[in-house]
Amino acid sequence: MGDLFVLAEHRQGELREITFEMLSKAPEVAKELGGDVVTVLLGSGVDAFAEKLAAYSDKVLYVDDPLFADYNSDKYQKVLAELLKTHKPDVFMVGHTTQGVDMAPALAVELKLPMVTDVMDIHFSDGKLSPVRQYYSGKVNADFGFKGDPPYLLTIREASFEIVEGSKQGAIEKVESPLKEDLDYRRFIEYIEAEVGDVDITQSEILVAVGRGIREDKNMTLIEDLAKAIGADICGSRAATDAGWLPHDRQVGTSGRVVKPKLYIAIGISGAFQHLAGMKGAKTIVAINKDPDAPIFTEADYAIIDDLFKVVPKLTEKITELKG
Amino acid sequence: MTEELQSFIEKYDLLGCIQCGRCTGGCPVTVRTDLNVRRFVYDTVDEEALEELAKMPEVWDCTACNTCAVRCPKGLKPVEVLIGLRNIMVESGVVQPTVRDALESVFREGNPWDKSRATRNDWMKDLEVKMAEPGEPVENLIFVCCTIAYDPKLQVVAQNLVKLLNKAGVDYGFMDTSETCCSSEVHNLGEEGLFEMMVEDNTELLNEYAAKRLVAISPHCYSVFKNQYPDLKAEVLHYTHLVGEILEDKKLELTRELPEKIVFHDPCFLGKQNNVYDEPRYVLGQIPGAELLEFDRSRERSLCCEGGGGKMWVETESKKERLSETRVKDAKELGATVLAVACPFCVLTLDDSLKAKGFEEEMRVAEILELLGEALD
Repeated sequence: MGDLFVLAEHRQGELREITFEMLSKAPEVAKELGGDVVTVLLGSGVDAFAEKLAAYSDKVLYVDDPLFADYNSDKYQKVLAELLKTHKPDVFMVGHTTQGVDMAPALAVELKLPMVTDVMDIHFSDGKLSPVRQYYSGKVNADFGFKGDPPYLLTIREASFEIVEGSKQGAIEKVESPLKEDLDYRRFIEYIEAEVGDVDITQSEILVAVGRGIREDKNMTLIEDLAKAIGADICGSRAATDAGWLPHDRQVGTSGRVVKPKLYIAIGISGAFQHLAGMKGAKTIVAINKDPDAPIFTEADYAIIDDLFKVVPKLTEKITELKG
Repeated sequence: MTEELQSFIEKYDLLGCIQCGRCTGGCPVTVRTDLNVRRFVYDTVDEEALEELAKMPEVWDCTACNTCAVRCPKGLKPVEVLIGLRNIMVESGVVQPTVRDALESVFREGNPWDKSRATRNDWMKDLEVKMAEPGEPVENLIFVCCTIAYDPKLQVVAQNLVKLLNKAGVDYGFMDTSETCCSSEVHNLGEEGLFEMMVEDNTELLNEYAAKRLVAISPHCYSVFKNQYPDLKAEVLHYTHLVGEILEDKKLELTRELPEKIVFHDPCFLGKQNNVYDEPRYVLGQIPGAELLEFDRSRERSLCCEGGGGKMWVETESKKERLSETRVKDAKELGATVLAVACPFCVLTLDDSLKAKGFEEEMRVAEILELLGEALD
């Protein structure tokens, strides 16, 4: 019976959400494996991270070394290979993120690890680990099985698991870095933040989208109230941004931003085709429009066919009430 | 390397340019962006500079309207120089995600809208549509276009054409869901490799149908089939050719009055690219009760709507008024109640601008086939 290793991911002094998403699923997986949840952390000056992670782990193994001040997949690979060889866990979970997909395949090749990428769920079938990933642009979910011996390497898709607050008090073990000198064939140069406006709507979890149906600039307050109540960012159709109600970086559509939030509330948007193509990837789409033939309803999961000036204030009121 | 770059000079006949500036002088987007196409024709002669030039954001401002080529006294095509530069960026893999997704969707699903191929003909539901079969003779093989097939607002264009053809009793046939993007916009976005592949595959597919004529509903499909598919066996027509012929031969009569003031906006890919100016006007002129108006800037001087040249997937950074906004304002000043177009992209851009300007009460944007549908009942 082996342990479950989870790689902690951090950037710019913050632990990334993917770490806690993986750690929230981890106890269930570790129980099936009959082992412990062991979080692996590499960094420089990361004692506080280790303590935080202990609440989600049976054990935190961490390397604290200035060589790990910035992420470098080559250095990670060297150290992780050593740790996996020494500790021989059953499963190693890494985020399917820019960092994870940069490093994990090379690690798998080096140690000849069986690997499944972009995993969105994990089952056990007859006691055997069976990760789930998608095919055909997300139309089919496939269960996978492994050939060969563990450790099995999984890269986990972001937002696949809900974060559950950790209540463990895991042991913290600082380990000596097996990497004794810097590797200079790939160097960290600088961190460049992507240029975005004040809000990057492609990253928003909830979006309230506005169209010409709101008629005038002054009616934007209705939308702002709803967005505030529900914790959403505001975006709009091209007609709405062209009318000057919103900055142009809030334009959703094939020529603007393509968004995939968890919830998209389209208000007074009839649904120009280039707009539909820019938002149809949203997980849940709610459309409010008084025209039952509005094309937006071809993409919507929930349709409210009524006057938005009646519906939106009520919706805001109800949400505020429910949120207490 | 040198050989490849020399071919850029040869391919676009760059040394033929006399730098007269008629291209830039007529380029419609210069009123809102820094694009100077004359300058690009001059600068791209320098082989070493190509990669840097390709990175300039203005390269993506061009709408491929063809005004520069229409005005060039030396018969050059400055627009193609810009598409060549886009090709350098596409080849290097550095393109906007929206462009990447559209191209990938054409490759995967045969349309740039990320729609499933299997649902391409869903617009036919509840309609009596005659289907063409490979190998069986058909007078008019109709090519729908991805945007018209999938956009719930534009499907009525294809549906009305079916009704009209059924009523007129002409021999026609539509294709099954194997109909695949004409790839006009693939070319305009600079993905030459994919474009060549699509031309080859589509030529083979279309030639399997024993069609005398290939009738495209969108000017973009019409233009690319006519000019960039050298091995097509069928004669290529735009639907206004076919409908004009039907009305002229009195195979069909438009009976219902439409008391509208209609102004026609020339789609660049029909007008400036292919000199088709009279047919749409003839067809509109047959609508009883309608009064036809003309823009000051019409026919070869027509103002582009900025919907072509891959611009459905690339936003121009300029915040100055869109040309489509200028166009709807001009239409309103003329007193038009309908801004008629014969192109799906023109419908999308002009309709958005009509809404942005808040003119919905006084005027509407309509595809000619929408109006014909209304005049038929």
